[in-house]
Amino acid sequence: MPKVTLINPDDSRIDLDVEVGDSIMRAATAAGIEGIVGDCGGGMSCATCHVVVLDDAYLAKTPEMSLTEDQMLDFTAMEREPNSRLSCQLVMSEEMDGMVVRVADPQL
Amino acid sequence: MTSGSTMTAPPALDIDPFTPGNLCAPEAVQEAIRETAPVVYLTRYEMYAVGRYDLVQTALSDYARFTSTGGIGMSDIRKPGAWRTPSPIAEIDPPEHRNVRKTLQKVLSPIIIRQWREDFTRVAEAQADAIIASGSVEAMKDIVEPFILKVFPDALGIDMPREAFPLIGEMNFNQIGPYNDLTRKSVEAAGPHLENYEQYFSRESMVKGGFGEKIYAAEDDGGFPEGTAGVQVRSFLRAGTDTTIAGIGHTLYRLAQNPEQWAKLKENPAKAKAAFDEAIRLDSPSQLIHRTTVADIEVEGLALKGDVKVGCFIGAANLDPRRFPDPTAYDIDRGSTGVHLALGAGSHICIGQNIARLEAEILLQALVSRLSRIELDGEATYRPINTLRTLDRLPLRLVA
Ligand code: HEM
Ligand code: FES
Repeated sequence: MPKVTLINPDDSRIDLDVEVGDSIMRAATAAGIEGIVGDCGGGMSCATCHVVVLDDAYLAKTPEMSLTEDQMLDFTAMEREPNSRLSCQLVMSEEMDGMVVRVADPQL
Repeated sequence: MTSGSTMTAPPALDIDPFTPGNLCAPEAVQEAIRETAPVVYLTRYEMYAVGRYDLVQTALSDYARFTSTGGIGMSDIRKPGAWRTPSPIAEIDPPEHRNVRKTLQKVLSPIIIRQWREDFTRVAEAQADAIIASGSVEAMKDIVEPFILKVFPDALGIDMPREAFPLIGEMNFNQIGPYNDLTRKSVEAAGPHLENYEQYFSRESMVKGGFGEKIYAAEDDGGFPEGTAGVQVRSFLRAGTDTTIAGIGHTLYRLAQNPEQWAKLKENPAKAKAAFDEAIRLDSPSQLIHRTTVADIEVEGLALKGDVKVGCFIGAANLDPRRFPDPTAYDIDRGSTGVHLALGAGSHICIGQNIARLEAEILLQALVSRLSRIELDGEATYRPINTLRTLDRLPLRLVA
């Protein structure tokens, strides 16, 4: 199963298995990772699943950003950065194996 | 590039989506709007209409071409005769919309997560225990309405007489459509309850510790323009009451019609939210929301004039076979959450959707854990309302 690495606000790292077709938000909340809230269950309305993709090369392999995601990234609690994404929209593929993301802080 | 002069206008359709017959069985109208062309012109209402998934999504989210500032209803709130104060959340565009929405989200998210689940669960369990032995029920009046009308106003911290809710809700959702007989009658019916209406949203009326009180506090902190907190609270109540009652009603109806889907839910109650999302895809409570063209624009080779209303037929888009294979089948494993347009798209996407899902999840789980199945016990009927798809009656047999 492909993996992503999450870097928490306290700099600790978690390697997370994410099934192909599952979102990073779903896998992270199922694993009880506190930094990802995912309040709206992937409905793109809460912006509490905010992550920053560290490597541009990986960003290019992620699903294309929809207009809704782009607009919702304006409502994150931590200021948006150039590589910001909503992790509920990061649906896993084999290509994304090994990706590293920083968990935004705060989410609420 | 096509030049302006060679572009054709959207084809005209002489249909009336707002007759009681078409409202209660909207499939033919939905299909006509969706399949005739990417954009059509409704001659009777002098406005454009879109019903394909991709175009509804675009019109709802692309505020540079389709503005919300003309109002989400059919009449342009900026024009004489129709003028009214815009909703301070739904009827503004980015960038003004950005800070308002951010402030609302900041108030909303933490309380939903920390407090409301417990409160809602207590009510749902008590209600389910009380009704379980009744056998036959009319689910809208006996289960869904009492649940939402208890937990939702309590959560918002509003104290308004319960009997006023359905009348005011029906009026609001008729008014988003044309000023026809349905609208006229519902305004009359709600009339007696409108006298004290504004007062329910005043600072003094907010229940201690509720959401409404926090909204006023956020205004004091500069999160909203001065004097808008009360209208924010009212917007929440309007947007979140009838839609959620409708959506949970549709879910129970589909589960009664499709015992194999009920069985999946019973086996894995975590699928309750998915059961709700798939039901509001099939029967979208908010059927129609409007935008206004900001200028003359081209859409898929068709020439649209500026300053004209565009009806976004959400219900039609959610049944678009281009996006949803076998669109009329109810399948809780379809993965419709975050894909269907029942909750809108773009920056105005429903801010209360997590509350709606929470309410649905808790009520469904309270029922599913106590019943082996539910069966239709007579004909389910819809209530004709211009822009809201909701059941009037849902006779169910509860099988313990
Ligand atoms: C099944 C239930 C619901 C449905 C179908 C629904 C539908 C919608 C739709 C389609 C929009 C987008 C409007 C537009 O683009 O102009 C919207 C926005 C909104 N909804 Fe909901 N809604 C539901 C539940 C709720 C609840 C429970 C609340 C309150 C807690 C709520 C509050 C709002 C608000 C305040 C907006 C405006 C957001 C903005 O403009 O940024 N809704 N809803
Ligand atoms: S889970 Fe709400 S936006 Fe991603």
